[in-house]
Amino acid sequence: MSMAGGQLMSGAGSGEEKTAAFPSVEWFDKLAEVAAENEESYRRLGPFDCTMVVAADDQFFEVTLLGYGIESVRHLYAVSDAAPSHFTIEAPLAVWREMLESIRANGAADREHTLASLTFQALPMRVDGPDQLEIDVFYRYIHSLQTLFNHSAEIDTTY
Amino acid sequence: MARHTAIVDVGLDRLREMMRGNFSLAWMDANPQGWGHSATPGPAGLGLVDIETGHYAQIPDHASSRASPAPRGCHVPAGIASSDLHDLNDRSVLWSDNVARLYDEAVSRQWNSLTDVPWDQLGELPTDLEKALCQMCTGLAQAELGAADLTAGWMSRISPGFHEVKLFLATQIMDEARHMEVFRKRALANGGGLLIASPCQQRLTSLIRHAPDYAAAGALMNVLAKGFSLALYHCGSFLAPGEVEETIFRLCMQDQARHLAYGVRHLEWFLGHHPERTEDIHAILDAGEQAIFELTLEPQTIEPRAILAGDGLQDIRAGLSQVAFVYARQVREYLRRLKVAGVDRQSRIRIPVELPLGRVGAERTQERMR
Repeated sequence: MSMAGGQLMSGAGSGEEKTAAFPSVEWFDKLAEVAAENEESYRRLGPFDCTMVVAADDQFFEVTLLGYGIESVRHLYAVSDAAPSHFTIEAPLAVWREMLESIRANGAADREHTLASLTFQALPMRVDGPDQLEIDVFYRYIHSLQTLFNHSAEIDTTY
Repeated sequence: MARHTAIVDVGLDRLREMMRGNFSLAWMDANPQGWGHSATPGPAGLGLVDIETGHYAQIPDHASSRASPAPRGCHVPAGIASSDLHDLNDRSVLWSDNVARLYDEAVSRQWNSLTDVPWDQLGELPTDLEKALCQMCTGLAQAELGAADLTAGWMSRISPGFHEVKLFLATQIMDEARHMEVFRKRALANGGGLLIASPCQQRLTSLIRHAPDYAAAGALMNVLAKGFSLALYHCGSFLAPGEVEETIFRLCMQDQARHLAYGVRHLEWFLGHHPERTEDIHAILDAGEQAIFELTLEPQTIEPRAILAGDGLQDIRAGLSQVAFVYARQVREYLRRLKVAGVDRQSRIRIPVELPLGRVGAERTQERMR
């Protein structure tokens, strides 16, 4: 099976299994920990400078990506509460779950579950934003974003 | 032994004076306003945006050609002769507020086709798919090489007073060169090869080449053409027969989106300073849309895409629906980007916003999506 964004590096120094429910601030905090443990893989790809809103059903989380990892995570009551400059990745929770379970099972997204594949036809996952240039930011960082979600393989995710 | 020239004699006289201990050292105090500068690295390192502060952030509205090509912010001595290299000296026609940040992003997000593409995972494809992929790569390599040459032509003419723009265009040239290289490599790497060049691509390149000025050329290349490419690369990533192609298109997407970010903000900046040129931009886009529509429907362009979308020659008609989907997205996003730049093109567009294919092959597309 082919993987997107390369195989994961093992997290340096984290012996404990990370467990959290998706979506939640705690889950993204765990993802931030894994990303920090694997900072070198982000350095190789180049730094982030963007804000991503993850929308799952009617739940919204603002993830600020800066430098080589996650800078901050915020629960939002609505997308309109997000920073003015952002893009949104929205999908039903079931789709997020299928993607994350695939990543967890395989160590990285298989071809059917990459961000690029899932968003291509705006179904089952859609990228949106305040304007087209904000949406385009998703594409400027798509390789790093894929690596970030691939790192969720190290989280024991519940739903 | 031949007599020295006057230039050599002057140089040797200077050397003799220095050997006697007579140094000028005037250069040490030449630029007091620019001395004492320091910078604090940002979260990703020491970027261009971090160092261009204070004295060095004074970007001129009009750069003196006398200073060319002296670096912005240094002292330019009286009597220095211009190199006559740079005739694009007005900030109003070049600038965009995001360009320094995009340069930092570009240099830190470079990749290479030697080691970042998993070439060892190339697998044999059915002949029709390999030919379709090779033809697509032939067309893309042609487009990317043209884009690199066009960008290089403009870059060399821009004053160093706006080095942020020059530096960003240098990264864009490198990006285009890498894209050309990677598409060429893919065409040659798997038992196929290059197929046929595109006359319509040549016409589009020529249109950009003969655009009346930098802003018009930028609207054509960095808004219209790049936008169409970005959606096409996303499609390429979706339809990629293997990990090699998926990786190539995903990495190329990052670069194209960055070029668009400059292109759209540059057009916005230009029209903000030259609103009287809006009709000229519409006029060049009229021509550009015709060229890109002609290119889209050219057999060597559309047929390979339809074969890849249909998963083979036998379903080429079904694959047309995927091509139509991408085309509609290309046009929709193009209009939205222009809106960001302050150009309302919705009622002016001269090409169909959708290809009239009906529902040919829609079921097939849905099947692939599942």
